Amino acid sequence: MGRLLESSSKQLLAQNAIPVPRSFVAASPLEAREKAGLLGGEVVLKALVPVGKRGKAGAIKFAGNPAMAGELAAQVLGTVVRHYPVEKILVEEKLAIERELFVSFTIDKKLRRHAVLVSSAGGIDVEEISAKYPERMKIIHIDPYKGLADFRAKEVWADLGLEGTVLRQASDILLKLYRFFVKYDCTTLEINPLAITKDNKVIAAASVMAVDDSAMFRHPELADAVQVGSDRAWRPLTDLEKQVVEVNEADPYRGTARYTEMDGGDIGFMCGGGGASLMMFDALLSYGGKPANYTEFGGNPSEKKVYGLVIGILSKPGVRGLVVCGNITNNTQVDVCSRGIVAAIKDKGIDPRKFPVLVRYAGVNDAVGREVFTAAGIEYYGEEITMTMAAKKMVEKMRQTYPGAEDSQAAHGA
Amino acid sequence: MGILIDRNSRIVIQGITGREASMVTRHMLAYGTPVVAGVTPGKKGEQVFGVPVYDTLKQACRAHELNTALIYVPPAFVLDAVLETLANGIKLMVIITENIPQHDAVKLLMEADNAGARVIGPNTVGVINPKERARLGAIGGDNVERCFVPGCVGVISRSGGMTAETSYMVKRAGLGVSTAIGIGGDSLIGSTPRDLLALFENDGETRAVVTFSEPGTSFEEDTAEFIMKGGFTKPLISYIAGKFTESMPEGTMFGHAGAIIEGGKGKPSNKARALREAGAHVVEQYDDIVSTLQSLRLG
Repeated sequence: MGRLLESSSKQLLAQNAIPVPRSFVAASPLEAREKAGLLGGEVVLKALVPVGKRGKAGAIKFAGNPAMAGELAAQVLGTVVRHYPVEKILVEEKLAIERELFVSFTIDKKLRRHAVLVSSAGGIDVEEISAKYPERMKIIHIDPYKGLADFRAKEVWADLGLEGTVLRQASDILLKLYRFFVKYDCTTLEINPLAITKDNKVIAAASVMAVDDSAMFRHPELADAVQVGSDRAWRPLTDLEKQVVEVNEADPYRGTARYTEMDGGDIGFMCGGGGASLMMFDALLSYGGKPANYTEFGGNPSEKKVYGLVIGILSKPGVRGLVVCGNITNNTQVDVCSRGIVAAIKDKGIDPRKFPVLVRYAGVNDAVGREVFTAAGIEYYGEEITMTMAAKKMVEKMRQTYPGAEDSQAAHGA
Repeated sequence: MGILIDRNSRIVIQGITGREASMVTRHMLAYGTPVVAGVTPGKKGEQVFGVPVYDTLKQACRAHELNTALIYVPPAFVLDAVLETLANGIKLMVIITENIPQHDAVKLLMEADNAGARVIGPNTVGVINPKERARLGAIGGDNVERCFVPGCVGVISRSGGMTAETSYMVKRAGLGVSTAIGIGGDSLIGSTPRDLLALFENDGETRAVVTFSEPGTSFEEDTAEFIMKGGFTKPLISYIAGKFTESMPEGTMFGHAGAIIEGGKGKPSNKARALREAGAHVVEQYDDIVSTLQSLRLG
């Protein structure tokens, strides 16, 4: 899934006739002050970062007048909230809120239905609602073909105690939100709070929205707003990660390569297959190894893509070994990959007699792969050893090459 | 015997003229698998390695008796292909396609349930029954016997590559595979390990099952509950990959789309505990699959 910034999701909500507070985006304290003036003085400032629970992280502030808005904006802009630098803030009119509701649409993976969680205890997170006010929470499962019936929307709010004009508005908004959730292929759509103002207006005061990456082909209009792949990491991409994304996208039709930097570590980790990489990472840790990155490739990538990937892995400071591993391949060509790997090792000026490199990679055309690795002086194994044995050998090889380097051991041990 | 497919399967491949689908057709035929027909709209009258191609599944069904569909169409068309399969009364389908929109997956899985049809996948490497020389999908590649030899052990894996590697571990133990199934790496898939264990329970050929699991979902907890209720009584050997993800920030995805811990759910440690309590052999190291299989003295 790809997350959207709140400014983008609010704009889409407004386009779909769902009421939201008036707001502006500001990139400087001066701008924040100006926009606050336009909004009448009393405003909420929200850091525009693609993460949840910003309130708890101190990234939401209330300003009583434009000057104060400018000062608070200066405090928030340039800070880092849950690993994301704050470059822009949302300056929003402060609503006079009477009550807060909660609405969250998701896909229930177990029941395989759309689901909406609705509560009359908004303003706090869902874990807190379910712990403190379970009786004020309702879940509706929705058949995607039948949709959400009008009467169900009214029933759920009426059961939670809403009446009169507020009941009618909240029901109408719930129906519109469901259509919105479907229209944009959302994986998450959370409105918290759905505010009831003192003059009895129901307004989507805060929104969290994520769109299914796999559905982006039918939403070209969202291309700029959705941060595709933002679910994969807990922080923005590092420079090396961006470099590998470019390598991957340069040839979008053959193979996939995913690279995540880990904190510290000394073993470059290059693994073929999603499941194999999970297994191999655990195996290295269990023997006291410290992988410096998590890399998974597959889908029969080109030599060039494999080359770029290995260059990325070896470029991380502190990497002083490389393990290449994979499950016995069904269709990925071991010979093609072997050429890319060997070329990258050569171009990085690495001597495999001094810098530990170990390969366990069997499958399609592996007889040629074995020749390529062996000719380059690299320790190569096919299916004669298991992946677990390869992990053990790699960690032993690191210890032999760097004796006494205790920091390469056991911090993550099983 | 074995489950899902055998030499009497009557297979149609939807999207058969695509690059990967036609290569897989060749591999399937070479193995001896009964591929009867293919469908690609606009390509009626063509042949793919001797397999006749039709414009619609309805045409293919008029000309042949079909009971199994292998779906290779691009992501945007999978939902429609499934609806077409169901409309033509086919009750078993294997969806190979990766990156299907989740909202489409919800719909197609619901429609299949309503029709009483069985879905394997999406995003699967396929299914193989070595004794019957029947395979659906890329599973086994161009050298099937390297990993898949006939035998008495069922294999269920979240990962396509590890379906092969795990079957190879079975072979290292001196045994072979009754049926191996890649269930698919997405968070929304058709048949779960529990569903397949119910089939293995009733299969005379299968004497034990090995599963390869990943973080995310509640499949293993569901399996444990199924065992506790007596639904599966044969030995179950389970390896759960991705233990390290528990010490990473929640919501981070490694490997497959479905391999994600969310809201405290899907942790490998919880899965292992549930399966152990149900009496399964949960192995710490992947290699322990071999020694555990040998200790069961199945051969």
